[in-house]
Amino acid sequence: MNLQLILLVGFGGAIVTYFAGKVWKALRELFAVIFSLILVGMIIYVYNRYSDEILKIGFLNFNIVFRLNALSWLFAIMISGITFLSILFSLKYIKGRENLNFYYAMLLLVNASMLGIVFAGDLISFYIFWEIMSWSTFLLISYNKGKALNAGLKYIIMSLVGSMAILIGIILLYLKFGSLDISFISANINTVSTKYIIYISSLFFIGFGVKSAIVPLHTWLPDAHSEAPSPFSAILSGILIKMGIYGFIIILYIFWGIKIITTLNPTLNIFTMVLSIIGALTIVIPTFIALLQNDAKRLLAWHSVGQMGYIILGISFGTSLGLAGGIFHIINHASFKALLFLTVGAVEYRTQGVRDLNSLGGFIKKMPVTFITALIGALGIIGVPLTNGFVSKWLIYKSSILEGHPFLAFAALIGTWGTILSFYKFIHNIFLGQLPRKYENIKKAPFSMQLPLIILSVLIILFGILPGIPLKVINAIGISFGLKSLNVTIWGIASDTGTLNTINIFSAVLVASIVVWLFFRIGKKSKKVPQESNYAAGSYIPEGKYHYTVEFYGPLYRMIAPYLRDVIDDFYNWLAERIKVLCNGIRKIYTGDVGIYVLYILFFLALLIFIYLRQVLW
Amino acid sequence: MVTKIIEIIISPLMAFVIGIFFLGLSRKIMARIHWRYGPPIYQPVIDIIKLFYQKSISHGFIFDLGIILALAGSIVVILFIPIGKITPLSSSGGLLVILYLMLIIPLGIALSGGEGANPNISIGISRKFILSLGYEVPFLLILLTVMKHYKTISIVEVVNIQQSTKWAIFSSPLFLSGIAYFLILPAMLGIRPFDIPTAPQEIASGPKVEYGGKYLAFMLIEHSLHLYIGIALFVNLLLGGASNIIIFIIKVIIVFIIGLFINAVFPRFRIEQAVKYLWRIPTILALAGLILTMV
Repeated sequence: MNLQLILLVGFGGAIVTYFAGKVWKALRELFAVIFSLILVGMIIYVYNRYSDEILKIGFLNFNIVFRLNALSWLFAIMISGITFLSILFSLKYIKGRENLNFYYAMLLLVNASMLGIVFAGDLISFYIFWEIMSWSTFLLISYNKGKALNAGLKYIIMSLVGSMAILIGIILLYLKFGSLDISFISANINTVSTKYIIYISSLFFIGFGVKSAIVPLHTWLPDAHSEAPSPFSAILSGILIKMGIYGFIIILYIFWGIKIITTLNPTLNIFTMVLSIIGALTIVIPTFIALLQNDAKRLLAWHSVGQMGYIILGISFGTSLGLAGGIFHIINHASFKALLFLTVGAVEYRTQGVRDLNSLGGFIKKMPVTFITALIGALGIIGVPLTNGFVSKWLIYKSSILEGHPFLAFAALIGTWGTILSFYKFIHNIFLGQLPRKYENIKKAPFSMQLPLIILSVLIILFGILPGIPLKVINAIGISFGLKSLNVTIWGIASDTGTLNTINIFSAVLVASIVVWLFFRIGKKSKKVPQESNYAAGSYIPEGKYHYTVEFYGPLYRMIAPYLRDVIDDFYNWLAERIKVLCNGIRKIYTGDVGIYVLYILFFLALLIFIYLRQVLW
Repeated sequence: MVTKIIEIIISPLMAFVIGIFFLGLSRKIMARIHWRYGPPIYQPVIDIIKLFYQKSISHGFIFDLGIILALAGSIVVILFIPIGKITPLSSSGGLLVILYLMLIIPLGIALSGGEGANPNISIGISRKFILSLGYEVPFLLILLTVMKHYKTISIVEVVNIQQSTKWAIFSSPLFLSGIAYFLILPAMLGIRPFDIPTAPQEIASGPKVEYGGKYLAFMLIEHSLHLYIGIALFVNLLLGGASNIIIFIIKVIIVFIIGLFINAVFPRFRIEQAVKYLWRIPTILALAGLILTMV
């Protein structure tokens, strides 16, 4: 009963909020916050109350099954948590814009449909929720109009291709098994051939790959994530693209099951190998493309693609260490990427929508809280020790080295350097450097915007110092898939092939910092100077004229830019062009003359008769 | 427990002494190669003490915090690197942790410099990061080769195996990695011909330009620790580590002096030249080493 109630509150909340806005505007905001908060509370309540709920309805004789297990609980809490924070952030951010009833209702609808996806225990309800999610996302991406309309269109077209692939997969599965219950299919997966498994999985992977933006299917993401309103970008990047990953995990670990992944069947091994190579490519190429971006949100968007690569790499190994790393990275990416998008949103809010990295700067003095949280987010995505990103990356590297794939580990490690370079640029160009004159009177972000930022950054540090908290939940997921249990302690992971212990790192960093800080205090006190008081070899630096970080990585850019064009996007555009030409050609046969249409019909009948006769003649 | 605490206190101090000695030694040797007399070998110590009592300016909160973080990061990295048999914290996380702790150092300096809002700093930091990307490519390949060859991610294990068999640099595919490491060592240490980020004549010492007094003293200490870290990793990973402190120090000093002769005679690269160099010969050697380890 619990799950149906949660979904009821989710979908009902969206509708109620919409109509509440018609009555009274403040009521709508209140309802949006309350409904999203209630959902968080309900999901916390169902922790460890795993159950199946079967709904017998007459629709085509399908049973609708809702299922809660360790995996879906983890996803559900992330979905509702990020949505709640994003709605909280929206209160000020979106205030005064048009169509707000629609905006809040759609946010809640996306939230509810994602919850539906993770609670779905059969493929038909999975697909229905999947489509609701795709369409409501499309409407929200296009909310800003202008460029956003194109971005939304690109998203929905690629999404539709993906959904079609999933639908074909579902139909084929139904024809084979006669049931769409996920647990029924996974119990009987041994009865089908390897070829069939790979065929079906490829269909599903196209669909999930589009949603999670892995490399050849990623081209919708940079446009959509940068053009959507910032709080929704946080949901998109933080959690929505993880729905694709959820699908991958369902296919790999529930449909196939751990026995099949770890068999020595060469065809399947090649298949997972290809998946991990795709993961590695997804890390390297987008991360270095991100380096060349000058739009803050576009930079973050490209990194979302890159970070998906780490997750794919982690889950494709089929070991408990790799899966733990992959799932942990899902949580981490949700926290720091949502945080980073929201910080950009806060800056956008105060500068009336400026997000060009080359025209900002020096905001540290004006928005200190936003700076600190953005810094924590950046450290998290880089994976500096004592942030959560480090632990998950450590797990992923370790499993790729132990599994004997040093080149995959190399791709992941060099991706980290691409991340450092671009995130230093991100932090520096917005918050450090010279403050332009026109932003001298800028105010700090309002509290309702700071609160989500602070909550997320506390989570990043907390999970970095005490990785045992999430790893315990993740370990339960691994065990429910039949993987070997990890030796998780509150401080990290113990094993005979290398132990991670964050308490040592934490205390070492703490003590070293205190010692250094004491020495710093002992030295002669320094004098505070304004930003213009700079050394420039005797000449003076003209203020406000220069932004020192335009072309920040110029020399590197000149070296690598020729290799980093988004060839795949160009290919899709070329394809779209061709199809347009082809369709134009086809259009010509519709002349509008009834006589000619009758002729077509006659030809068609003649063809049918011809085919019929030939069959008879055989 | 007590020995552990003593080890934890001793190893950064030792690194500090060695690093400062390196700085003094390098000035002396350079001077002799240039046919000058040169300052006394303890000159850096005098500099640090003097700088602590001089005036300095601060541009704000992260300007101070960044440099504290950088120095603290260096000290923490040292705790994770074994010195002979002394292994203060190296058992927790292995090479991957060292690799990631090493990130704190350039990030700290870059953040601190960023608030300085000086064009020279921006150029210096940009060069520093590009150079890092340049040498990290071969460096990561070398690390992975070592980890793959010895089938462990723990640096203590790597040292132990080398102690019981032979030095990595003398075993068959790893000598390529050893040569590659030696070729990128000046870039990692930031000494000429790779002192591009801190080029005094071009960009007024880059990130250091706004520092004075104790900030400069901290940078000096950080630089000396950095010299030690780069060489100590080389000794531990490829030159067999050491069975006791004395041998370890001797090895470190020998590597440094050989590096210094290169340092003294070469002019500075431009940043593009440096990256191109790093991505050619050292990368090819490191890649060859890794491929040979895999087959």
